[in-house]
Amino acid sequence: MFAYIVRRVLATIPVMAIVALFVFSLLYIAPGDPAAVIAGDQATPDDVERIRASLGLDRPYLVRFGAWVWDILRGDLGVSIFTNLPVSTMIQQRIEPTLSLMIVTLILAVSIAVPMGVVAAWRQGTWIDRAVMGFAVLGFSVPVFVVGYVLAYFFALEWDLLPVQGYTPFARGFWPWLENLILPSIALGSVYIALIARITRATMLEVLQQDYIRTARAKGLNQSGILFLHALKNAAVPIITVIGIGIALLIGGAVVTESVFAIPGLGRLTVDAILRRDYPVIQGVVLLFSFVYVLVNLAIDLAYTLFDPRIRY
Amino acid sequence: MERRSLLKAGLAAGSLGMAGGYAAPALSQGARARTLRFVPQANLANFDPIWGTQYVVRNASAMVWDTLYGVNDKLEPLPQMVEGETVSQDGLTWTFKLRAGLRFHDGTPVLAKDVVASITRWMPRDPMGQMVRAIQKELVAVDDTTFRWVLGSPYPKLKYALGKTNTPICFIMPERIATKFDSFTQIDEYVGSGPMRFVRNEWVPGATAVFQKFDQYVPRGGAVSWLSGPKVMGVDRVEWVVMPDPATAVAALQNGEVDWWENPITDLVPLMRRNRNIRLDIADPLGNIGSFRMNHLHAPFNSKKIRQAVLAAMSQEDYMRALVGTDDALWKALPGFFTPGTPAYTEAGGDILKGARNMDLAKRLLQEGGYNNEPVVCIVAQDQPITKAQGDITADLLKRMGMNVDFVATDWGTTGQRRAMKNPPAAGGWSMFHTWHAGADCVNPAAYNAVRGTGQQAWFGWPESKGVEDGVTEWFAAPNPAAEKVAMDKINTAAIDDVVYAPTGFFLGYTAWRSNVTGIQKGPLPFFWGVNKA
Repeated sequence: MFAYIVRRVLATIPVMAIVALFVFSLLYIAPGDPAAVIAGDQATPDDVERIRASLGLDRPYLVRFGAWVWDILRGDLGVSIFTNLPVSTMIQQRIEPTLSLMIVTLILAVSIAVPMGVVAAWRQGTWIDRAVMGFAVLGFSVPVFVVGYVLAYFFALEWDLLPVQGYTPFARGFWPWLENLILPSIALGSVYIALIARITRATMLEVLQQDYIRTARAKGLNQSGILFLHALKNAAVPIITVIGIGIALLIGGAVVTESVFAIPGLGRLTVDAILRRDYPVIQGVVLLFSFVYVLVNLAIDLAYTLFDPRIRY
Repeated sequence: MERRSLLKAGLAAGSLGMAGGYAAPALSQGARARTLRFVPQANLANFDPIWGTQYVVRNASAMVWDTLYGVNDKLEPLPQMVEGETVSQDGLTWTFKLRAGLRFHDGTPVLAKDVVASITRWMPRDPMGQMVRAIQKELVAVDDTTFRWVLGSPYPKLKYALGKTNTPICFIMPERIATKFDSFTQIDEYVGSGPMRFVRNEWVPGATAVFQKFDQYVPRGGAVSWLSGPKVMGVDRVEWVVMPDPATAVAALQNGEVDWWENPITDLVPLMRRNRNIRLDIADPLGNIGSFRMNHLHAPFNSKKIRQAVLAAMSQEDYMRALVGTDDALWKALPGFFTPGTPAYTEAGGDILKGARNMDLAKRLLQEGGYNNEPVVCIVAQDQPITKAQGDITADLLKRMGMNVDFVATDWGTTGQRRAMKNPPAAGGWSMFHTWHAGADCVNPAAYNAVRGTGQQAWFGWPESKGVEDGVTEWFAAPNPAAEKVAMDKINTAAIDDVVYAPTGFFLGYTAWRSNVTGIQKGPLPFFWGVNKA
């Protein structure tokens, strides 16, 4: 197992290198000019050219790529073209809100979706099953921003129970932190709940047809024991896989959710950087996301062994 | 007690044990009233008003750095950091005296050498500054509170240059910072001279920027108006909260989570009007001028007749309706290039933009101009509502005229790069792009790059117009408002005739605030001094 983990961690190095090369090249050939944005609308072409030169954007591709890679190898993600702040500082400022949003969404989604899927499978064909599947269809169909606006309208504007927007760091208290995350997490989690509930239901239906479930029933086990101890554990591998894929979805979904609820997270940082062509920030954030994806995949692979002893690495 | 406060109190009590004693800092009613939460037009992505000349940077900088002069709502430059000035009989030597008690935010006094360094850093980035620099013989600090500026030829608009609202504004910063960074390099220390300090460690670009009252700031006397007069802060703290989504901003304003939203979109105005806790008014009477620019270097718009054909056919009402909807109070037709309602406004030579649109004339001019079905590469930034709306109208207009439109839907970042390219449209260049200008920049030709006709040196589109340039020269030399008006008529006539660019109309926007906020001035930027919160 240990050798496997070491091998997987080492395998991240070429993956990250390819991502780095790809991202840098893509940004190099992409149209757009940060110097023009900085200079403002009244600037002359000469002003724009001088700013471009001062930022080093007029240097050849290989020189710029070499300098960036050298900095990365020394642990330096560079400095934002616009803010003059280190990219690592900007990521540090933004990582807590995104992480908080993802964690709360994940907890919310798994704790709601898995029981929903299990119950729907158990009560297949009944109104409970149809209600769960109806909810799943809604969750998939309604865009995150629509869910967000509807929640904000009722819970913030009409009933004045929760704030419309913003983020409060955890260090300022649990409730202030949580109250800003409830609506965004529900909005972001709706797709995720639908996805996990459907997969859980489908997998459970298959497992519930197995002989060992019949045996468990025959020896007099109660229904919850059968469902949650025997069936769910055997259905866990596909569910965990979907949860892993969902984490990737969460990163993408966070961009919209952070915009709708004005949460200063990594999603908004990425979008702002792309619109302004703040190359060092885009490169830094994409590298970070890639690293997170690789780690999540590794964690999922390792989690398989907990639920299915037949899997060995 | 508000429902949310009640809920918060209950849950906080419950969560206290759960979170091991974490607690939210209590914000008293007084502290809340001393903090103004403001939603700006855009993200404050950098904070150097000389290096980055975006309006949002200027707006934040006006709190932090003071100016030597400041224009009022009549566009008159009044002394701000200076006590006064003397000018030699020949108009070549200006001597300025700083007023007493001026301090930077690090506690050091503002000296003449700081002013000289700040002006020197500002000049290369500003059109008026560049003109002054071209005729400057000497700019020196005579003593701690006096500096002298010697010019090679008279420049009557010098005080206006030092006090105008157009970006870049000549802000005063310490000499060590102004000399350490040239105009094209961003500063990394924010030591201001204005009524508010920038709280750097609370700055999260893209999310928040915080400004704290500077207690040692000495406001000057008189009446406050725009950048002039006593900049007395009515709140201790101003928090900028960046909200990219207008729906979120309006909800936050309705809910009292923010106090002032700089530029609400017109679609949301009816909703806000129904809320008795929200006040709305025109943000800036100087408004904006919509425009599209044609590339004078390449076919088809290197032909004056073809450019005129577009003017003859275009309906400014179509453009304005696309921008502001049905609210007629928000727009005006504009048969010219200067801001309506200002002293030197003129419609001279603007007949082609008045009255019923004449498609027959347009088609005839197209023919006379030798239009040969060349593709019109029409660049339209889709991420800016103003450019997108205008672009859609233009594309339809050109098609109805019988032109071959190559509609390039892109984003503003790409437009910014592509419009600088002088290549032919078929080789990565362009034929036209859409933009808009703040009305404050268009009150006269002083800082109005877009109207200039200097050919290859001109703003994007590179129009060449001797008539415009002669008029601009006359305006700068004009000794009185009457002479300025004559020069402006000349500029407008020539700019229409040569079609320096196509004005799509004049439009206004709203600003919105909570009813417990008072003292908001109408103007080209949000002025925070004089604003109070109950």
